[in-house]
Amino acid sequence: MEFMENVFVLPFLDIADSPVFFLEVIISGLLSGVMYSLVALGFVLIFKASGVFNFAQGAMVLFAALTLVGLMEQGVPVVIAILLTALLMVVLAILIEHMMLRHLVNQEGIILFMATIGLNFILEGVGQIAWGSDVKKLDIGIPDQSFEYAGMLFNTLDLSAALIAAIMVTTLALFFQYTGTGRALRAVADDHQAALSVGIPLKSIWIIVWSVAGLVALVAGILWGTKVGVQFSLVLIALKALPVLILGGFTSVPGAIIGGLIIGVGEKVVEVYWGPAFGGAIEGWFAYMLALAFLMFRPQGLFGEKIIERV
Amino acid sequence: MSEQNRSPDILLNVEGISLSFGGVKALNNISFDVRKGEIRAIIGPNGAGKSSMLNCINGFYHPQEGQITFKGETRKQMQPHKAAEQGIARTFQNIALFKGMSTLDNIMTGRNLKMKTNFLWQALHLGPARREEMQHREAAERVIDFLEIEQIRKTPVGRLPYGLQKRVELGRALAAEPDLLLLDEPMAGMNHEEKEDMCRYILDVNDQLGTTIVLIEHDMSVVMDISDRVVVLDYGKLLADGTPDVVRANQDVINAYLGVTHE
Repeated sequence: MEFMENVFVLPFLDIADSPVFFLEVIISGLLSGVMYSLVALGFVLIFKASGVFNFAQGAMVLFAALTLVGLMEQGVPVVIAILLTALLMVVLAILIEHMMLRHLVNQEGIILFMATIGLNFILEGVGQIAWGSDVKKLDIGIPDQSFEYAGMLFNTLDLSAALIAAIMVTTLALFFQYTGTGRALRAVADDHQAALSVGIPLKSIWIIVWSVAGLVALVAGILWGTKVGVQFSLVLIALKALPVLILGGFTSVPGAIIGGLIIGVGEKVVEVYWGPAFGGAIEGWFAYMLALAFLMFRPQGLFGEKIIERV
Repeated sequence: MSEQNRSPDILLNVEGISLSFGGVKALNNISFDVRKGEIRAIIGPNGAGKSSMLNCINGFYHPQEGQITFKGETRKQMQPHKAAEQGIARTFQNIALFKGMSTLDNIMTGRNLKMKTNFLWQALHLGPARREEMQHREAAERVIDFLEIEQIRKTPVGRLPYGLQKRVELGRALAAEPDLLLLDEPMAGMNHEEKEDMCRYILDVNDQLGTTIVLIEHDMSVVMDISDRVVVLDYGKLLADGTPDVVRANQDVINAYLGVTHE
């Protein structure tokens, strides 16, 4: 009886009691949701263009962050270190195309998926061999301070992250929608054969997509690294992107964004108001429960392409 | 005759093509040529190897034996996007459009090869890239006018009825301004009126744009009406090759189509 009260009555009383605090919880959820969206975005880009679920996306985040920190430790100025890391991610994309994708054209999706698992281990290994496995502090000069506004507490790092993510998503969306290359990318995503027949070279498209996914990984690595430090657990952030993808749909850029926001807000709200009823730490598994519910009732996600089979 | 084969008005020459999938021989020593400016039909019963032949020509399949000469250039293996660069465009038996994209965008993908600015310029959407986009937009609009599909320019093609999708697919191929157009059953599944429209477009393309066309079609009356020469395949073998009249009179062809009584 007490449990029922904790689930169905008390949380709502709390919300009604202090709407400002509720708003603050929602905003902090939105801000952390943006960070999930960023990671999910990397998955969506690659999945859209090549139908590959890139298991190594988390490792790419770690790899980019490790490289950046490593370069900065060597005394390379921030801007140059970021440019060098970005360059390295492009080189990585070219290598991946040459050594992996090229040899697996027309293979089943599951085989490409297995290949990305291999890539995951390589990136994790190489990154740590090159730069060590200690937890490192990343500070590229994004201010990390809290301030109060309208009775709510904000953090400048969260706000900057949200801004950067918003700029990036808008740029990508415009690029996809309004340029020839964007059109070619969408064409490849839609139908490989038809894309080939109009002369779209799959290989360079793959390089572009993996490069962009690498750059997205770099941005995610910078923001997450600044927030929690550059460490192996960055790889696990990719796991948080999974429920985001299931919610948003694997093929939808806006879906990745909104999915991330929903997960972010959901987690925070549930933790704060319903946490006590379950003895806390709901934040850790709420996202996966939500994803499970979605898998049962709407497997294509909120924005994924409808699964319709014409017969 | 061999002199004639080497004359410059041969656009495509197919020599001794054999293609097998595991133990199944899809094509067996097929040779024929396509002259510049003609409409060439490939006919045959189901499973005769017609689509396989087209797939060899545009590089989707790599035949085990034989060679293909296009515009005087001989090649054994070819990647589809290279074939497109050389000037081969095609449509598919089961329409392969980009279903989520609008008619205009689909046709614009046909212009992809003609775009010269690199993607960094395009990413910035500035200067040359912008001008170029406008130029290609105009070319795409011309194709849209030609095929009379103005009213569906912005419609996602997945929502269009079958006959119109076929027309959009033809539009995408035309947008590439190809020298050789491969049409895989352009009239399959169409009603009488749509078929007549499609025939008219094919003839107009051939006539006004001077495009050489190789087409696969099941409707005999259509084939005999619009094509200059016909290749007949049956079980991967070449059964006959000649003008519609010659082919129509060929006993093997009659047997293949009408069946033959074995005694």
